[in-house]
Formats: sequence, structure tokens, C-alpha cells
Amino acid sequence: MSKKIGDVILDLQNISLRFGGVKALTDISFNVREHEIRAIIGPNGAGKSSMLNVINGVYHPQEGKIMFRGTERKKMEPHMAARQNIARTFQNIALFKGMTVLDNIMTGRITKMKANFIEHALWFGRAKKEELEHRKVVEEVIDFLEIQHIRKTPVNRLPYGLQKRVELARALAAEPTMLLLDEPMAGMNVEEKQDMCRFILDVNDQFGTTIVLIEHDMGVVMDISDRVVVLDYGKKIGDGVPDEVKNNEDVIKAYLGAGH
Amino acid sequence: MLYREAGQFKTTYAADQQIFPIRQDRLGILVLLVIAFLGVPLLASEYWFSAILIPFLIFALAALGLNILTGYAGQLSLGSAAFMAVGAYAAYNFQLRVEGIPILVSFICAGLTAAGVGILFGLPSLRIKGFYLAVATLAAQFFIVWCLTKFPWLSNNSSSGVISTQKLIIFGHELKTPVEKYLLVLSIVVFLALAAKNMVRSATGRAWMAVRDMDVAASVIGIRLMPTKLLAFAVSSFYCGVAGALYAFCYLGSVEPDGFSLDMSFKILFMIIIGGVGSIMGSFLGAAFILLLPIFLDIALPFLAGLFGLPFASETVSHIQILVFGALIMFFLIVEPHGLARLWQIAKEKLRLWPFPH
Repeated sequence: MSKKIGDVILDLQNISLRFGGVKALTDISFNVREHEIRAIIGPNGAGKSSMLNVINGVYHPQEGKIMFRGTERKKMEPHMAARQNIARTFQNIALFKGMTVLDNIMTGRITKMKANFIEHALWFGRAKKEELEHRKVVEEVIDFLEIQHIRKTPVNRLPYGLQKRVELARALAAEPTMLLLDEPMAGMNVEEKQDMCRFILDVNDQFGTTIVLIEHDMGVVMDISDRVVVLDYGKKIGDGVPDEVKNNEDVIKAYLGAGH
Repeated sequence: MLYREAGQFKTTYAADQQIFPIRQDRLGILVLLVIAFLGVPLLASEYWFSAILIPFLIFALAALGLNILTGYAGQLSLGSAAFMAVGAYAAYNFQLRVEGIPILVSFICAGLTAAGVGILFGLPSLRIKGFYLAVATLAAQFFIVWCLTKFPWLSNNSSSGVISTQKLIIFGHELKTPVEKYLLVLSIVVFLALAAKNMVRSATGRAWMAVRDMDVAASVIGIRLMPTKLLAFAVSSFYCGVAGALYAFCYLGSVEPDGFSLDMSFKILFMIIIGGVGSIMGSFLGAAFILLLPIFLDIALPFLAGLFGLPFASETVSHIQILVFGALIMFFLIVEPHGLARLWQIAKEKLRLWPFPH
């Protein structure tokens, strides 16, 4: 692969997160470089999703420092992460199920729209112009993910694989610099997985988007990611390029058990 | 094969994003407006205007307001009648206390006052959801009615808070006849309904629906929950407030705080349940249904009883009304939670395919 991996864009230093007495994450440090595909793996309950939630401001770690683009991040809310161009998808599909595919994806561009509700109500000023401009960008995303045929369909009528794709489309519509994907391939068949891998690689390649990815399918992870971090019981047990991680003793132990 | 978009090719996004994308819909709305503005005033009798059409439009407006809040933004409210009361009393007070204020301006101010009160009572929505929020808005219902009775200043010291509205003068012309009042109400309702349609098809509406469908995902996308919810409360209360002002000025002429009871709030809620939660047209269908059903029963029941030679007391009609309402609401909640508007949509989808089965 001949892509250019840039400087560190996100640096997590000694992150600890507790829920009451339960330690979800303990003293975890790793970084993400610009334009890379960074995978987070680990057995169930290892704290992978919590890690993503820390990155985009849903959870607030009790200890540790998060540096994003060189500045330390203070307490933040999820909508602020969106304004810093961090987008994400969810493990359980989190689409707006009463809306059409098109409306869902249009919602992804909401931080870029400036018109207020009075302009919308009277359909004057920036309202109409913005709707058209953003529709154009959204249509590009729709083309990119090959979902033209379903753009007017309510999302709750779509099969699972397509819903996952629409969720990716909604995240991409925000033109994120960093994209967090929480198990994008869970529950998919081989073909759907191949499609999804292709889309992830294409996004990374064409738009230079930095991708942080949680995935259980080891074949996929080892194939598409540049670096992998491994968590187990909220602790980091491995970090490096896929080949390194594959041969790491601790990682093998965590996945296969001690007595293999 | 009459109703379908086949052959209507959209070559621009503007064409695809217009308010009614299908030509038949545009024609339908146009015909409806022509009938409402020109046909009805020529044909309908005075009774129809003052007893059916004007209250229908006013309640449709209030239902529309509630539908914005409940149907689109997903925040349940039981205080619609109270917000109407705020609108009615605010309009009265603006007319009374501000020298030479045009009536339309005082209607707008009434809406804004209601919007302010709505935001205040919407604050609990930031912490609580669903059923509990409904109980919090119930507080608005009782508190506002109590306030209007308790502080005589609000009703210009009249006994038990009854107010008689001022004359309706627009551009130096006094509106006296029901037809004139009907046209005023109709114009306001059409304008506000189109504004609502525009809001729900643009970013404002998408933010509301996103909060309704999944608030965590909405905030991750960058929607700020607090302003979005409070805006829904404000806009919804504005609509209810204007409806309240029209209710006082164009329908009854004199109102008292107890008129805006919890019963009325429930009635408006039933309108959107039966008409269709999350549908602009559903608000109109629901209002028509709820208002026309009692009139229909009034005529039909004694007739039916006469047919079978049964003795029939007049209070039986109101008892049966309650039974029928209860049964219908249960029916809609179970069978078609999206109401009449959804039935209409299904009919349209069938029409698109007709005469083929699929």
C-alpha cells in the first residue's frame, strides 16, 4: 500500500474509566496517526466500545489525557466531537428509523447547515440554497456507497446489511477527518463483508479519512488495518502492526486461553 | 394509474425537493385551497361556519402544534389547552393594554408569549422522557388555569376570569360575519400549516425527528439536544397560542380559564392519535374526525333508535359518544398507531400500483 501515513492526530495518554467500582479501562495509552486504519480488538467486555465512547465524548475518563490535533481536550460533549469532525457508527444500528435513507444521510450534515428555523419555515434566505447544496454532497455519498436505489425508502424497511451501509453513509456525509466504526461487519455474510471492506478501504484511500475500527473478524482486521491495539479486561496487552500482534504471546493467550 | 409519479422525471434536486413533489398532490392541494377560499364561502351556511368550520380549523391548528412537539420531536405533552389559554389571554391583554396594536400583531405576540411559557414548561424535558414528561406538562395545564383565575389583572378584573374579546379590526375593516372570520382563520391556518411543512422537511425537522428516534445518535452527529427540544416546545406552543387567540377572538368571543381544561388537552391529543402522529395532514384529519363524530352521532343515533322503535333519552347520545371515542382510540393505538394519515398513505401506495396488485 502506497498511502502516506501522517503525524499523530489523536493521542490517548493513561486513560482510566470507571463506572462506580467497575473498571472499564485501566491506564491505556495509544495513538492514532493521520490517514491510517487503526483497529481495536479484544475479547468480549475488553472495553473496546468504551474506548470509542471516550474518543467521541460520550464517556468522560476519570484519569488520563486526550490530545486531539495537538491540543488537550477538556470535558466535552458528543456534539462537540461532531464539530471537530469526528463521526462514528454504532455496534447496534442507531439510524433514525422513522426517516428515509435520504433524510438520515442529510441529518449527517447538520453541523454544516447554518439556516435557522424561521428561514426553514418561510423557505427563504439560506434555507433553500443549503438544502440543495447539501443534497448534492449527500448524493455523492449515496453514489459512493451504491445505495441509489433505496434513497427514498424508510430505513426500517431495509435489511440489516443495507442499514449498516446507510449508517456509514450518514457518518461519511459529515466529511469527517476521523471515523470511528464500531463493529461495521458484525452479523454480515461474506459478500456484505467484502463490500464493507471495500468501502472502508476506499474511504481511507480517496478521502484520506483516519479510521478507528473495532472488529471481531480477525481475517478482516489483519488484512485492512495498518496498526492494531489489543485490549483485554480494560488493559492494553498488545500494540503494533498486524504481524507483530499476531505473534504476541499475551494476545494469543487472551484469545485462545492460557493452556493452548 | 391516475396517481403515480411515472413520467414525472426530476432533473434537478430542486424539483425533487419541492414541497409536494408529485404533480397530483400539487393539484390536489391547489383544488382544496380554491374550494376552501372560494367555494365554501359561497355554499356554506352561517351555522356551518360558526359551529363546524371555524372550530375545525382552530383545533386543527392546535393539533398541528401538538403534533410538532409529540409527533415530530417525540416529547409527549398534556398541556396544549393551557398553551391555548395563554394565547387567548395574551391576545386579549395586548389588545387591551397596548394602544392601537393591530389585531394580527397581537395574535403574533400571543403566540410568542405562549412560546415563552412553553419553553419554561419544556425545561423538564431535558432531564425526563416519555410518561414522566407528560406528567410534568400536566403541571402546566393546572398551573396556568389556576394562574388565570387567581390573578384578576390577567382578565382585567372580571369575575371568575371571564374575558370578552375586543372587536376584530383588520386594516380598518371590522370582521363581523362568520364568513369573514372563517376567511381570517383559514388564511392564518394555511400559512402556519405550510410553515410547519417547510420546517419538518428541512434541517429543523430532521433534527427534531433525530432526537425523537434516537437521541444518543443525534448528539453524536452534532445535534445539540437542549436547543432542539426547547425549539420544539417553543414552536409547538406558538401554534397552540395562536390557536387559542383565534379560539377566543374568532370562535367563542368570550372565554373563561376553565374552558381550557384538561379535557380539551386530551381532545387535542386524541386528534393527533387518530389523525396521525408525525403527520401535518393527520392533524387536520384528526380534528375533523373528533369534531364531526359527535355531530354525526347526534343525528344518527336518534334516527337509528327510531328505526328500531327504542326509547331514546338525549343524554344517551353523550354517553355513547364517550364509549365510541374510547373504543376508537384503543382501536387506533392497537391497529394503526400512525392514524388516518397512514391509512391515507397506504391508499396512495395502492393507487400508485392500481390496477395491478403489486
